[in-house]
Amino acid sequence: MDFKKDFPIFQHRPQLIYLDNAATSQKPLVVLDAEKDYYERLNSNIHRSAHFLAEEATIAYEETRQTVADFIGTEKKHEIVFTRNATEGINLVARSYGDACLQESDEVLLSKMEHHSNIVPWLQLKERKGVNVRYLDIDENGQFVFDSSQITSKTKFVSLTGMSNILGSIPDLKPIIAAAHAKGAKILIDACQLAVHSPINVQELDADFLVFSAHKMYGPTGVGVLYGKEELLKKMPPFLGGGEMIQEVFEDRFTPNDIPQKFEAGTPNISGVVTFKAAIDYIGKIGFDKIRSIEQELTEYTLNKLSALPYLKLIGPKTTDNRSSVISFAMEGIHPHDIAEGLSQKNICIRAGHHCGQILMDTWGLPATARISLAFYNTKDDIEQAVHALEEVYKYFH
Amino acid sequence: MDIYAQNILDRYKKPFYKDKKLDASIRHKEANHSCGDVVEVDLQMQGDKVTAYSFSGNGCAISMASADMLGDLATGLTKKEILKLTKEEIYKMLGIEISVRRSKCALLSLLALQNALIDESRH
Ligand SMILES: Cc1ncc(COP(=O)(O)O)c(C=O)c1O
Repeated sequence: MDFKKDFPIFQHRPQLIYLDNAATSQKPLVVLDAEKDYYERLNSNIHRSAHFLAEEATIAYEETRQTVADFIGTEKKHEIVFTRNATEGINLVARSYGDACLQESDEVLLSKMEHHSNIVPWLQLKERKGVNVRYLDIDENGQFVFDSSQITSKTKFVSLTGMSNILGSIPDLKPIIAAAHAKGAKILIDACQLAVHSPINVQELDADFLVFSAHKMYGPTGVGVLYGKEELLKKMPPFLGGGEMIQEVFEDRFTPNDIPQKFEAGTPNISGVVTFKAAIDYIGKIGFDKIRSIEQELTEYTLNKLSALPYLKLIGPKTTDNRSSVISFAMEGIHPHDIAEGLSQKNICIRAGHHCGQILMDTWGLPATARISLAFYNTKDDIEQAVHALEEVYKYFH
Repeated sequence: MDIYAQNILDRYKKPFYKDKKLDASIRHKEANHSCGDVVEVDLQMQGDKVTAYSFSGNGCAISMASADMLGDLATGLTKKEILKLTKEEIYKMLGIEISVRRSKCALLSLLALQNALIDESRH
């Protein structure tokens, strides 16, 4: 099945080999059409104005909320808050829940493979409130080094990735969530990478909060999702103030709106949210069973090809167990930037750098890595061309 | 495959000024954190003039070749002349087209060199 034909960028750039999907995915025609359609037929502000067009736009916007709720397995659509991206979702929780519910010397538990967006908001909370931030170690397979003694009565919040954007590993969260809840701590899952590769059920997981970004899952930029348990969102103070998030405003006070509007101040990215539904529907039409099986096969193929290069070192899990299609590596004596530059000359896009994961890089003594990240629309031919280019890069420098 | 011009590759593979262990009077390090590039510049001065240059560090071919070629350019110049060096002069020295995404790599050593001299004048 040629899925690339669903994505117009591959028609406009037939030579393009796009292996940087973990940074952002390409967008299928159905998503691009949905955005155009919104602006051509529906454009209006939402939740305000007493005319039919505003009502239709509001309905479309709220339909996406329902779609997202179904997508992650909650029955309560008001547990879905739209943000700009995953980063904003984490900031919202750190600001609102963190400021209201955490005290000096309470502990926030993270891991050493978190993305900077799941570290810096907690370091900012540390600056504001004096909480302690501690990090779980990572083993060579990209799993958390964890036993329940790591969560103590001081631990009030745990915030962990559902899939590493550097190693591609999918850590086992269930024992950590159980241990956190046993001690009364709340847990946020950063599903920014996971959400496009694997079905998620927040009820089964029993996550308190979960975030992801539409742009990494074939949707538009500028839309993120924060899931939060109803009872938590209800007791949290608003994050940003303005229109939409209030019920009443007086000269000296205001009353906030109900959830989720309480957390959606100002005119949101209406077209983006409406369009996001098309992306989720697109994923649903293909189905995660198929997406996973294609991606697992491509990952295995890539791992085998890369392992066959004696001068190349894989970083992270070497097998397809408990991982998805993000693969980091280093090449003897060649800086990752030079690898990416060489591939770029062949129209192959990969990422090089620290991938917003400086703590892991420092811990493992890596200045940077090169990273291939695959989507189900990639092909074995893409991988072969990339591997061939890697061989050429090696020859060029040796 | 021909990623960079031959002069860049040559200076990257066989640098003249790398790790010379100068009895340096001035030393300054700069890092480009997002790429993981690090350059430390060591200088010997006589009065206002740079009389010897060395660098250490690691990074991509452009950052390392640029740091090495900067030794040719900087040796013999006065502090004032060095502080006036521009990015255009560095691009000219490299003799290749530098894309926006690589400009930080090309200019890291100039930053280290100029900041070394700025540090120095603060003491
Ligand atoms: C694991 C992880 N968390 C968070 C983010 C931040 O996503 P965004 O920039 O869309 O907020 C990313 C993006 O690279 C990521 O990979």
